[in-house]
Amino acid sequence: MATVQVSEAEKVYILHGIRDDLRVDGRGCEDYRHTEIETDVVSNTDGSAKVTLGHTAVLVGIKADLGKPKPMLPKEGYLEFFVDCSANATPEFEGRGGEELGTELSNTLYKVFNNKHSVDLKSLCISPGEHCWVLYVDVLLLQCDGNLYDAISIAIKAALFSTKIPKVHISADEEGAKEIELSDDPYDCMRLNVENVPCIVTLCKVGHRHVVDATLQEKACSVASLIISVTQKGTVTCMRKVGGGSLDPESIFEMTEAGKRVGKALHAPLMDLLQQEERLGTKRQKVGFLG
Amino acid sequence: MAADMRLPVIRKPVSLIVSTDRRDLVVPGDVITSDTGFMRGHGTYVDEEKLTASVAGEVQRVDKLICVRPLKTRFNGEVGDVVVGRITEVQQKRWKVETNSRLDSVLLLSSVNLPGGELRRRSAEDELTMREYLQEGDLISAEVQSVFSDGALSLHTRSLKYGKLGQGVLVQLSPSLIKRQKSHFHNLPCGASIILGNNGFVWLYPTPGQQEEEAGGFYTSHEPVSLSDREVISRLRNCLLALAAHKVLLFDTSVLYCYESSLQHQVKDVLKPEVMEEIVMLTQQKLLEQEG
Amino acid sequence: MPTDTKRVRGPEVSQSPLLFVSKPATALPSHGPRTDGRPRDQVDVRPVFVRCGLVSQAKGSAYIEAGNTKLMSCVYGPRETERKDETDMKCGRLTTDMRFAPFSCPERGSWIQGSQDKDLSLMLHESLQPAVCLHKYPRSQIEVNVMVLENSGSVLAHAVTCASLALADAGIEMYDLVLGCAVRQDGSSYVVDPTYKEENSCSSASSENQGGLTVAFLPSLNQISGLQSDGEMTEETLTAGVRTCIEGCYKIYPVIQQALAKAVRRAAPPPSES
Repeated sequence: MATVQVSEAEKVYILHGIRDDLRVDGRGCEDYRHTEIETDVVSNTDGSAKVTLGHTAVLVGIKADLGKPKPMLPKEGYLEFFVDCSANATPEFEGRGGEELGTELSNTLYKVFNNKHSVDLKSLCISPGEHCWVLYVDVLLLQCDGNLYDAISIAIKAALFSTKIPKVHISADEEGAKEIELSDDPYDCMRLNVENVPCIVTLCKVGHRHVVDATLQEKACSVASLIISVTQKGTVTCMRKVGGGSLDPESIFEMTEAGKRVGKALHAPLMDLLQQEERLGTKRQKVGFLG
Repeated sequence: MAADMRLPVIRKPVSLIVSTDRRDLVVPGDVITSDTGFMRGHGTYVDEEKLTASVAGEVQRVDKLICVRPLKTRFNGEVGDVVVGRITEVQQKRWKVETNSRLDSVLLLSSVNLPGGELRRRSAEDELTMREYLQEGDLISAEVQSVFSDGALSLHTRSLKYGKLGQGVLVQLSPSLIKRQKSHFHNLPCGASIILGNNGFVWLYPTPGQQEEEAGGFYTSHEPVSLSDREVISRLRNCLLALAAHKVLLFDTSVLYCYESSLQHQVKDVLKPEVMEEIVMLTQQKLLEQEG
Repeated sequence: MPTDTKRVRGPEVSQSPLLFVSKPATALPSHGPRTDGRPRDQVDVRPVFVRCGLVSQAKGSAYIEAGNTKLMSCVYGPRETERKDETDMKCGRLTTDMRFAPFSCPERGSWIQGSQDKDLSLMLHESLQPAVCLHKYPRSQIEVNVMVLENSGSVLAHAVTCASLALADAGIEMYDLVLGCAVRQDGSSYVVDPTYKEENSCSSASSENQGGLTVAFLPSLNQISGLQSDGEMTEETLTAGVRTCIEGCYKIYPVIQQALAKAVRRAAPPPSES
C-alpha cells in the first residue's frame, strides 16, 4: 500500500480535527471527496468505467467470455475479479510489490459479490451445464490516494451498468449437437441489472471517531478500519475489519450503522449520474483520461 | 454525509494573460541557436555547433549564457533557500531529510541549535539522543547552508525561526510555483502562518503565541488547535491547491487574495473544479489590479 | 496458474464422484435441531479439544479439534527478519501462513497456496496482530503456520484460537488470547459454529438474510480483532451475529485457559524443596 509518513504533531492535528468534525481538507467526518465517473472509456471492453475520487483513480474493464459453468452451479454464470496494482500508481507496486494488495482487494471483491442478489447470475447462463458467460472484471489502479475499496466498488458498479453482452441463440441440429450463434447486430445486446450491486464504504477509526473516504494521511493515523459493502436496500453483503488494530464491539456497531447509512445514500446519486450519462447517448463528448 | 458525484468535463486552463504563441518554450532536440557566440548552460547541449535543448522548458538568457529551465522539476537548491523537509533517517551525527530534491538532504548535528545555548559543544551523549530531538517522520524548516558536489544539500537550523515543526498541515507542490522573496515566513492577517519553502513544501500552522520560543524549537505543543484556526488553515490549504492546479505563482499576496476570494464558499467546496476556476480568476484579477 | 512440476499430477480436470450422485444434496432443514443434535438459535459451540506442544521442534504449537474440524498450528521465532529491507527498528513482524491439506475438504485441493488460503492467512494475520506485543520484538519476526487437517466448518474461527494458543505456548508476549467464533445466518434462524454442510447449504426457503460471519475476539480486553462476513444480511442481523459470536468466544474461553495452564504446568520444573 502506498504509505506516507506523518509526524507525531501532524497526527495530533489530524486527530483533533476529526474530533471536531473538521478534517484537514475542510470535510466533515462523513463527506466524500469530489468524485468523477465516466463509463465506456475503453472500446475493447464490453463495459468499462473510470472513477476518480480525490486523487485516487481506478479503471475497470469488463470482458464477457464464453465459458463452462461451475459443476456445483450448472445454471449460473460467474464473475472473476482481478485487481492489478500497476507501478504507475506508486513505485512501491513495482515488480511483485503490489501483488499482496491486489490479492487482498480481489478476494474482498469475491466476498462482496458472494450472494444471490448482487448480480443475476442466472441471466448469464446460456445452456445449463455447458455454456455460460463469464464476466472478467479487471480493476486497474491508476493512482492511489487512499480509499481504494470505495472507488473500486463504484467503478465496478458503473462498469457493470455499461456492460453490453451480445445476445446469443442456441440452435440444435438433427443429431442434437448444439451450436451457438452470436447475434450480428451490435445493438442486440443484453444489459445487466445493477440495482443490487453493492457499494463498499470504508470507515477508518481515527481516535474515538470514524471517517469515511480517508486520505492517506488520515489512514496513517488510524489503526483499524471496517469495510462494509451495502446494497441499495441497505443489506450488508460483506463486512470485514482491515488493519493491524482491534476495535471495541460498541464502535463496531456504531460503524456498521454509519456504514449502512452512508452506503445506502451513495446509490441514488450514482444511479442518477449513470442514467444521465446514458441519456446523453453516444454523441456525448468523451473526456477519457485527459480530464 | 455528502457525496459529490458528477461526470467529468473537459476544462480549459483559466488565465487572464493570453499566451498562445510562446517562442521561448522548447522541447528536447529543439535547436535554440546556431550562433556559436553563446555559452552552453544547464538543460542544453551542443550538437554540430548548434545549441540544442535537452529538457522541455523555458529558455533563459543571461548575457551570453543560455539555459533551459525545466518547467517541471525537482528542487535544485541554492545556498540561502528556505526549505521544509521531512526526516527520513537518523544516522551518526546527521539526519537525512527529504526535501523534494534529487538526493536526500543532510542536516548535521553540528548545524542545529541544541537546547542550552548556541555555543554548547556537541557531546557524545548528544549523538545518542539525536532521535529525541528529531525522529523519522518529523518535519523541519531549515535553510540551505551549502551544496555538495553531487548536488545534495546541507541544511542548517541555526536560527530561532527554523527547527522542528509542530501542529499544522503540509502541502506538497511544485517548487517552480514558489516565488522567490525576501521572506518566506509570513503571518497572514487571516489568522494563520505560512512557510513557503523554496522546495515546494508549504507549511501552514496556527500563528504561534509569544511564549514558545525556548527549548531551541524542539518542543512541540500537543494542545488542541481551536476550531476557527483550523478552518482558516484548511481553507488556506485548499486555496493553495487551487492556485497550484491553475499554475499561479505562490507568494503571500496571491495566497491572501485567493483566501479572500474563497470566503463566499464553504471550505470543502473550494476544491470543486468550478469553484477553483472561479476563485483563481478572481485572484488573478486582483493581482493584475494591484500591479497596474 | 502456477503448477508444481515436481509432483505427479493427475489429469488436468477431474471432479469428485460425489458431484455425480443422482440425488442432489438435500437442503438442510431450516428449522428443528441440527444434524449433529445441537439446537438452533442458541450459542452452542461444538465441544473443543485442545492440546499444546505436539510439535516438539517448534517454539510453540497447538492442536484443536471441534467436531470433525481439525487443525494444528506451529509458531517459530522470534528470530532475525529474513527480509532485510523491511526490518523495522521499533516493531517486530508477524507472518502468518494458513494452508488446507489437499484432502481436508470433500473436493481435493492443490498443494499450492490458492487465493482462498492467502485470504485466510491475511485474516489470521489481522486477527492475531493486535494481541501480540510486537513492539517487544524489534527487528525480529514471528512465524505462525496453521495447517487444516480436516475441514468441517468454521475453519477460520478455530484457526485463530489455535494460532493464539500456539503463540502463547511459544512464550510470545501477548496482551490477551484471541478466540474465534463463527455464526451462519439462515433466514430468520442462526447456527453457531456451523459444520461444513451447514456452511455450504443454500436453503431454498428464503434467500434473504443468508450469510456467514466470523469474529476474532480478545476476551479480557473486550476488543474485536478480526471480523469478516459474506452473504447478505441486514445490519440488525449482523449486529446480533457479532454479539452471538462474542458470547460463543466466552464459552470456549475457560477450555482454552485450562489447556494452556496444563501445558504450563507440564513444562514447569518441580518447585524446589527449600
